[in-house]
Amino acid sequence: MLKRPLLRGGLAAAALVAALGAAPVAFAKDVTVSVWAGGTSEPDHYRIDAIKIAAEQLEREAQIDGEDLKITVEGRAFNGWDEFKQAFTLAAQSGTGPNILVTGHEDIATWSQSGLIRPIENYVDFDAWPLSDLYPNLVDIASLNGTIYGVPQDAESRPFFAWIPHLKQIGWSEAQIASLPERVANGEYTLYDMLADAKKMQDAGVVEPGYGFYPRNSNGPDYWQFYTSFGGEIADPETGKLVFDRAAMQRTYKFFADAVAMGVTKKNHIGMPGDQWWHEVATGKAGFWHGGTWHFARYTGKEGNKDFFGTTQFSLIPAGDKGIGRANTLTHPLVYLVTAKGDEAEATIAARLIAIASEPRINVLHAISSAHLAISQAETTIPLYSENRWAAEATERLLATATAMPNHSQFSPYWDIYWKGLLATWTGEKTPDQAVAEAEAAVKEQLGDAIIIR
Amino acid sequence: MSSSARLGLLMLAPAAIVVALLFVAPAILTGVFSFTSMTTATGITGGAWQLTSEAMGRLRSAGLAAATVDALAAEHYRIDETTLATAADAGVAAATIEELRTRHGGETFDNRRDFERFLKGLAAKPANVAALKAAVPPFRVSIVNVRYETAAAFDAAVAGSGVALDAAARDLVGREAYTGWRWTTANYGRLAASPETLARLGRTLLYVASTILFFNVGFALVLAIATYYLPKGPGAAVRAFWLIPRVMPVVLYVMLWKWLAWDGGFLSTVLAPLGVAPRNWLLDSPVNAWIFIVLINGFIGASMGMIIFSSAIRAIPQPLFYASAVDGASTLQQVRHVILPQLRWPILFVTSYQTLSLLASFQEILLATDGGPGSSTEVWALAAYNTALNSYTGNLQYGMGATLAVVLVVVGILVSLAYLRLFNFAALVERPRIEQ
Repeated sequence: MLKRPLLRGGLAAAALVAALGAAPVAFAKDVTVSVWAGGTSEPDHYRIDAIKIAAEQLEREAQIDGEDLKITVEGRAFNGWDEFKQAFTLAAQSGTGPNILVTGHEDIATWSQSGLIRPIENYVDFDAWPLSDLYPNLVDIASLNGTIYGVPQDAESRPFFAWIPHLKQIGWSEAQIASLPERVANGEYTLYDMLADAKKMQDAGVVEPGYGFYPRNSNGPDYWQFYTSFGGEIADPETGKLVFDRAAMQRTYKFFADAVAMGVTKKNHIGMPGDQWWHEVATGKAGFWHGGTWHFARYTGKEGNKDFFGTTQFSLIPAGDKGIGRANTLTHPLVYLVTAKGDEAEATIAARLIAIASEPRINVLHAISSAHLAISQAETTIPLYSENRWAAEATERLLATATAMPNHSQFSPYWDIYWKGLLATWTGEKTPDQAVAEAEAAVKEQLGDAIIIR
Repeated sequence: MSSSARLGLLMLAPAAIVVALLFVAPAILTGVFSFTSMTTATGITGGAWQLTSEAMGRLRSAGLAAATVDALAAEHYRIDETTLATAADAGVAAATIEELRTRHGGETFDNRRDFERFLKGLAAKPANVAALKAAVPPFRVSIVNVRYETAAAFDAAVAGSGVALDAAARDLVGREAYTGWRWTTANYGRLAASPETLARLGRTLLYVASTILFFNVGFALVLAIATYYLPKGPGAAVRAFWLIPRVMPVVLYVMLWKWLAWDGGFLSTVLAPLGVAPRNWLLDSPVNAWIFIVLINGFIGASMGMIIFSSAIRAIPQPLFYASAVDGASTLQQVRHVILPQLRWPILFVTSYQTLSLLASFQEILLATDGGPGSSTEVWALAAYNTALNSYTGNLQYGMGATLAVVLVVVGILVSLAYLRLFNFAALVERPRIEQ
């Protein structure tokens, strides 16, 4: 027999929601909803503007229901991630954060544990359109412990790029260039093959030393792809625990150390100015590099590459070496989250705005203007999307095999340790073996039982 | 107390309050935080109790019987008299409750989505989304994933869950379900055991010692003495010139250095005709990075010592210089035997002050190299900042960062005491014999 106290936990909230639900929803007349978006630069303005469009729609709906609802949306975009996460965590701890967040899905685990966000499924119905039409794998990525915390805001994947004119100059035929994506996908063309070709480009004087392989210039989810390329697994699907694969980690570290030793990647590549990096890869200074689907917007926009498909080939991230690991790409969907700020009524409005902003016609504005991928099936059928060559090809070539980082509260310390070791080998401060040993000691010590060491 | 003393205290009160709030309280809190496991995940204000899948994993590892963990991990929604009564209290519509009681009594559901879909299929289904969401919690008879704000509520929930636990197991479950921070000395243990600690201390020592030796005291002395022997006008001009880095906004100042050093910057452009390949001179190697770090900090720091030493030299009684000149002392001998002995006190002051200030300063390094290449220029203060407050991955470890900060304070105090001994501070502040 059940005891009453058991149920007390959820009841206060339930009673509040019931009060809202029993009668026509008792909206406050003037509501201010603040939205903070991380990693958001100019092409991504629809992350915030979509909520503004949704607010107009919700106001109209309320008016028809006989409510006079005025929603003011205050947006704040953060270019980077460090300052966004610092600003949000500190503001939220002091109760002055925003109502809605746009952030990477991997923050769900940490921020739900510290009580900074609410499960969005407490406020909106995922069986109702448009949420019912979202890709299920994206909804899974926005969930934790079987509870849906966020609504996917965009999807993407992270391709490997090669500059076609340079490939031609080292003797690649049209057919070889065209078949690169396929050869990468089936493991025939590997990361070490790429390093050899990058060296050829440099030796032939096609690109300057250090420009053969020109990776991302800063830390990012991208670097987990290389760990996967060398056979690593980030989390164990069985137990949900994180996984530290010694051999894969060592091979990944060694790969970057080898690239530096061969002279095709600069020793001090990480930390170079971002604008310089963007400009160089978009204008053919580099042979091979990697990025994200959204790079298309910058290459063809600000950087002025008018012939993207004629100059740039793209594929999955190749497997590490023959018989080792697999070709892969990572999708890192951003999600809309409702924070713990304000009362239930405020949270309900925030969640409804997010649901409306996820409608295909609104989300497609972000997807195409920022070169991200669709979050729902219906979105891909809108002409703006279906007639966009990049969106269509990137979806087909990459998204099917995309993996995602795990939602685990200890993932960010693990990521920090992984990155630190990679940086130490890259700059020659430590050998791959030393760095792996130190990383292993650090994960054991900091994560203890939360991580499986293989 | 005299009225003037009272008035004095009263006038000082605002300053005292500001000092207490902005300096004393944070320092005390840093000390307190250093004994906690506070991170972004635990939050600062306190935790709740929630059995998540991660907590279940920890319970399994801690040796709780698999069957017990599975029982705790199972999610159930049940329709019976107890849950129906709770639902009625929570405001679920009477018609819905009646339909559930008469036609679905005793039914259970294993997850929330199924139960919500079932509710939507009722004849007396909840009127809207908000009502539907409100109708779900009263029927939940499992505790997995539910967030309980107090230990009492969680304990009651565990007791009511029907999963049999002995006292030890109950304690264990409560401990693993707790989401907040705990008191711990583990941060200090981690620091003591980490190979990074010595490396960071070494880097910090290198940073502080070379900046002070070469610039903040060394070069400052050279400037002060050189400008003393220069004619007044040019001397003042040179001193004014060296103040520019000090008055320039630090972000702009470091940006100028970066322009000087990067691939397409001044150095690379100038050296290109000499056949030197362009490179990012700042980050090319740890040695390069260190040279730049010391230069960047030293150019700012030299001005303070320069001003203090200049005024101290001017305060040396002129007859001493005349007397030494009459004795045939060269300029170098004057510096060695007249100026330097008189500067002992200002040198002690500048050295101690700059040591403390450099120990705690990292803004120039953050802006210039951000600790790179690798972590070769990550000094202690920068590590503390990055650990506690600045993380790309969002992993802010407040407790560990506070521990690093506390160690820095202790090191600062120890170094100051050492300086006092080294420069024989007691003798310096001794009352002049003549007045005894």
